[in-house]
Order: sequence, then C-alpha cells, then structure tokens
Amino acid sequence: MSAPAIRLRGVSKRYGRKTAIRNLDLDVPVGSIYGLIGPNGAGKTTSLRIILDIIGADEGEVAVFGSHDIEAQRARIGYLPEERGLYAKMSVIEHLVFFGELKGMDRRSARREAAEGLERVGLAEEADDKIESLSKGMAQKVQFLATILHHPDLLILDEPFSGLDPINVDLFKTMVLERQREGATLLFSTHMIEDAERLCERVCMIAGAQKVLDGRVADVKAAAGRNEIAISFEGSSSFLDAPGLVERVADHGRYVEVRLVEGADPQELLRRAVESNVRLSRFELVSPSLREIFIEKATAAGVSPEDAPEEEAAA
Amino acid sequence: MNPFTRKVRAVIRREFMQRVRSKWFLVSTLGIPALMIGLVFLAGFFVTQSEDDTGATATVGVVDPTGRVAGFLVEELLADSVLASRADAFEGSTEAEIRAGLSESPYDLLLLLPEEIVEPPEDVDRGRTDRARLFALDNVPGARERQVRDALSRALLRVRLADAGVEDVDAEALLRTAPISVVNVTETGEARSQELYQVISFVIDFLFYMVLLIYGQMIIRSIIEEKSSDIVEVMVSSLRPWELMLGKIIGVGAVGLAQLAVWGVVIGLAALFGLTSAGAALAEAGLDLSAIALPWDTTLLVLLFLVLGYLLYAGLFAGTGATISSESDAQQAALPVTMLIVVPFIAVQGIIQSPNSVWAVVFSLVPFFSPLAMPPRLMITSVPAWQIAASILLLVACVLGAAWVAGRIYRVGILMKGQRANLPEVLRWVRHG
Repeated sequence: MSAPAIRLRGVSKRYGRKTAIRNLDLDVPVGSIYGLIGPNGAGKTTSLRIILDIIGADEGEVAVFGSHDIEAQRARIGYLPEERGLYAKMSVIEHLVFFGELKGMDRRSARREAAEGLERVGLAEEADDKIESLSKGMAQKVQFLATILHHPDLLILDEPFSGLDPINVDLFKTMVLERQREGATLLFSTHMIEDAERLCERVCMIAGAQKVLDGRVADVKAAAGRNEIAISFEGSSSFLDAPGLVERVADHGRYVEVRLVEGADPQELLRRAVESNVRLSRFELVSPSLREIFIEKATAAGVSPEDAPEEEAAA
Repeated sequence: MNPFTRKVRAVIRREFMQRVRSKWFLVSTLGIPALMIGLVFLAGFFVTQSEDDTGATATVGVVDPTGRVAGFLVEELLADSVLASRADAFEGSTEAEIRAGLSESPYDLLLLLPEEIVEPPEDVDRGRTDRARLFALDNVPGARERQVRDALSRALLRVRLADAGVEDVDAEALLRTAPISVVNVTETGEARSQELYQVISFVIDFLFYMVLLIYGQMIIRSIIEEKSSDIVEVMVSSLRPWELMLGKIIGVGAVGLAQLAVWGVVIGLAALFGLTSAGAALAEAGLDLSAIALPWDTTLLVLLFLVLGYLLYAGLFAGTGATISSESDAQQAALPVTMLIVVPFIAVQGIIQSPNSVWAVVFSLVPFFSPLAMPPRLMITSVPAWQIAASILLLVACVLGAAWVAGRIYRVGILMKGQRANLPEVLRWVRHG
C-alpha cells in the first residue's frame, strides 16, 4: 500500500503554557476527503500549520506523501488558510501567475492555467483589474483559484466555506470535488459539523487540543451503535416525558432527536405519541448525527460540552 | 545550494516590479535630487542674504583701557564706510558700566578691548579676560563681526608698526592675502580639488543615507502590509520564511539600486554635457561636475559598502517589521535601527574634514557605522588596504549574523498578530527559532 497523503504521529504543540494540540495521530489516505472537525480554538489550524511546516511541532512526526521533508512536497500542496489575503495593488492575472510561480510553475503555464481558471469562475473580463477593485465574492474566487492553480495532489483548506457567499460555496464545492475525483486528497477543517457530515468520507474530531474520534463516517456512526428517532410533530411534547423510555431529547427546532433508554422499543414511543393526540409528520429511525456523537465522545473524554461545534448557520 | 530558486526569484520580481511601476518611484526618483539641489541653492541663498544683511550702518563705541589702539581703530572702522557711521573712544569704562549703559547709549555696538591688547600673551585664546568683547543689544551678523575683527587687526598692525617707527601704512593692503585651494594629487599625478571632493563625497553619502532609511522603512511597511492583509500565511505555505525575507530584501534593494542608477546616469550626463543649464547652475554653486573623476575601483568599493550596508540594515528592519503588526508601531519599533544609521551620518561631516583621524578610522571599521563612514574616506583619502579589508570582513560577518537573527525573528514573528512583541519575547524567538 502506498504511503498515506498525510501521516502524523504523536504531534504536540504548546504556546507558552497553553497546549494547542496534544499527541495527535492522523492518517489521511490518498484520494480521501477528510474532515477535521472541532470548535473554534480546538487546535485545528495549529494542526494544519504543522502539517504544512509553517510552524514546527514540539514533539512528534509529520510526513506528507511518505516524506518528512515537507519543503520538497510544497509544490504538490494547495493551502487555503482561514485568513486569506491578496496583494491589493496587483492585477488578478499577475497575482495568480505569482502564486503559480511560488508553486514552481513556469510563467507561461501559470498564465495559461490562470486564464482558464478565470474563464471557469467567470472572471475572464476582470483579469487585468487590480485586486483592490474587486468585490468580496470575486476576491474569494481569486483566492480559491490561487490555491488550486498548480493542480495540487493534496488540498488543505482551513474553514474553506466560512464567510463565503452562497453561490461561491456551491462553486467551490464543485471544483474541490472535481479535483478529488481526479485523484487529489482533500483535508479540510470546519467548525460546522454538518458540512463535514455531508462531504467527508472520514473525519477526525478534535476538542480541547486532543483527538476524540477518528475514522470513516459510516464506521463512526455504526460504532455509535444505538439508533435515534427523529420526530416532527404538532402539539404538546409531553409524550416525550417518559423517564423509563426516553434517555435524552435534542430539540432541533423543526424536529426533535430522541434517544431511547438501552433496550427500549421505539414502538412504545410511537404508541405514546398517538395516544397523546399530537399530529405526527415524521417518525424516523436515524443513525445519530456526527454532532450527537461528537458531544458524547467529547464528554467522555472529559472535555466540556460547551466546546461542542456550533450548529450550522441557517443558509 | 543556490538560494535563488524560482520561488525567490518570483518574490524578487514581484517586489521590484510593483515598486518600480508605482507613482511613488517616479516621484521620489525625480523629487529627491530636485529637493537636494533646491536645498543647496536655498542654503546658498540664505548665506548670500546674510552677507548683505550688514547693509545698514551701525554706531560703534570703542572702550580702550590702553588708549593706544582706539584712535587707529576708529579710523579703520570709519574707513570701512559700510560699518560705522560713528566710532568713539573712551577710557576706563568697566564691563558692568557698559552692560548697564548700552541701551541708553547712542551706540549699537560697544567694543571693549583688554589691557594686553597690543602685546597679548602667547596663549591669548585660552582665557576669557584677554579677549576683546563686542557688546550688542541684538544679534550681530557673522559678516559684521568679521568686519569689526578685520578693522581691529588693521588697527593693531598700525599700532605695532608705529611702535617700530613705521607710520602712514595702508594696513588693509598689507594684510591682503590670497585664498588657498587644496589640491590633492593622486599617485598617477592627477590633481583634484579637495573641497570639491569633500562636497561630492558628502552628497553621495547623503544619498546613501537616504537610500538606507527610505528602503529600510519600505521593508518594514511591506512586511506589515503582508501581515495585515492576511497574505503572509499563504506565502509561508509556499516558501520558507527566510526565502520570503531574502526575496523581499533583494527586491526592494534592487529598486534602490535602480533609483541610484537613474541618479548616476543623470549626474553622468550632466557631467558629460557640462554646458547644460543644470550643469552651469551647479558649477556656479561651486560644483564643477566635469572635474569629477572617481576611479572604477573606488566606485565599486563605495558601492560594495552601500550594498553590504543595505543588506545589514534591511535584515535588521525585516526582523523589526516581523515583531509588529501595525503601521503606528513601526516608527517607534524602528527607532533603534534608525539611530544606527543616523549616528554615523552625523559623524560624516567630521570624517570628511579629517578622514585619517583616529575616530574616523574607528567609525569606518565598526560594522554598523562603516557603510556610511567608509565611503567618504575612500573618496577623499587613500585608505590603507588593511583597513578596507578589515572593514569589509567585519561588515560581512555582521551582515550574516544579522540575517541569521532576523531570519529567526521573522520565522516566528510574521504569523504573530495584534500586540507588538516585547524584547524578552523576541529574544526567546531568537533562541528557539
């Protein structure tokens, strides 16, 4: 088997007295879509920066495509940091060519790729405009193009969708997935857990500077074992007040997610609902959401549930 | 290993092109020489003005305890008709009386001669009491002071000649002398005006000083811009921080060299066509450009010191820039480095006057000062080879050391945001990199 795209072993980093990440192991297989999930301040950005050798780890080993010399792999990596800027005084095309050159492309092919990319995202007309004259959405497109211009084998995106306008979110997802289908590996961090649940094959969950969960999304869910019940209804929620039957209720607004006591029968809850005269529009056995699993694991690991990732902002 | 990889070359090209194409480059390239020429003429104008400032005549009183000088002196003062409309001699007034009575007296100036005025002791300049003193209600212009002094010299000459039995002399004619112009002769027998070369070396050193300050500040600004526009993280994911720093320093420095080259070509052309109005104007101001001939080896050495000096200070400025995040902190943070440039420049005037004095030699050897202290020496005197070699070696060692320290500060600093890093923190960065 070929070396994983990214391999971390026992990676730790401290800033003064504060631990940013503790003893992190991570294997990102080539060609996978991997999500690094955790609340703000959990250590996601630090981990990504360590992978990119922007900062050095205090302890542990880092390998990209089997090589410990990250420097030699830079041309194969495309990185979109959470805080992404552009040189305001450069023209769009100059900027893209410059970043292509930083990734080892020659000027001619960088120029060609940049022109194609701009065509693709609908910025062909703006190629010679100064960056400072672009709208925010246009600048986001340029930043994104600069990340993928050199056809990286590994894309590392830090909170790629935060702050994007909705049209760009769709465009970027499409383009990222295209790259992945062509064989690129994708690692991205997000504090919006639903994003990860929709996109990722695998996730690594970080809370309080340590890993609490890691693996295939399907496996993670299967391992969580017990099913939950999603219920949408109109009327009183008093039928959920059944201590011998219901262990926990999570209210998601339009529906509630209910976990039953070990060994309890979902039919029993359905019967109570019907008897209490609520109007049911949905009663569905679902596997637990990543969010539920995350909270459970984080709590088990002794991390405050306050640190749980945020709900996805309503789009 | 060749540090100038494609990436570094891309950074250099970007830094260079962005600046050379900017309006700022055009304005400063044309503006700084214009400013300098303007300042030279302005200074000349003011000096000329103050020469003329003595136009109005003054009434001068002479207090002569010996009673032997005042007569001649009044004559001489009146002979210089511009100076004195009235000069009278008194005896016996004390300094206290003069000071108390000057404003009430009809005189603008009162000159008090010392007792030993005719036969002064050999160390006449040491004590205050044996000096002649000129009391005035207002500021006395330099030209007026000179006129009084000259009149006194003539009067004293006449007194002493009279003592020797010579009467009726034209003291002014007797004292007339010729101004001296120092001509340095090179080993090959070429003559060059010392004064001209002093002016030239000062002008060149001033340009260097400007280049070091302006381009050092530019590096700081460029680093802060990358930090505040959030672009630096993308950059360091593509190349090592020291590569970014190197590219930035070389790119910005190339802009400085380009600017110097433009100035050099302009001065060279002006020298070639000494008849142009600019050349004529400069010649009038005492700068005969066609008389400048700097040998190639000197020119190259001087440029070498500029380049090494730039690399040294650019490294220090880059390290400084990495410790701050806002434009408003920049001035204060850069002050220590700026002082390192200002101090040798203050000394330059003295170095030009006596380029082989002990401290001129010391300044031209100390690494932080030598970039500005050595070039004028190279241009106006023959510096021993060992001094040149030692100075260059020390400077190169210092450049490498500064680059190492700055690189470590830079690596940690450029990802830091918000508050300015304090000194202990920066030292920790240097130790742990």
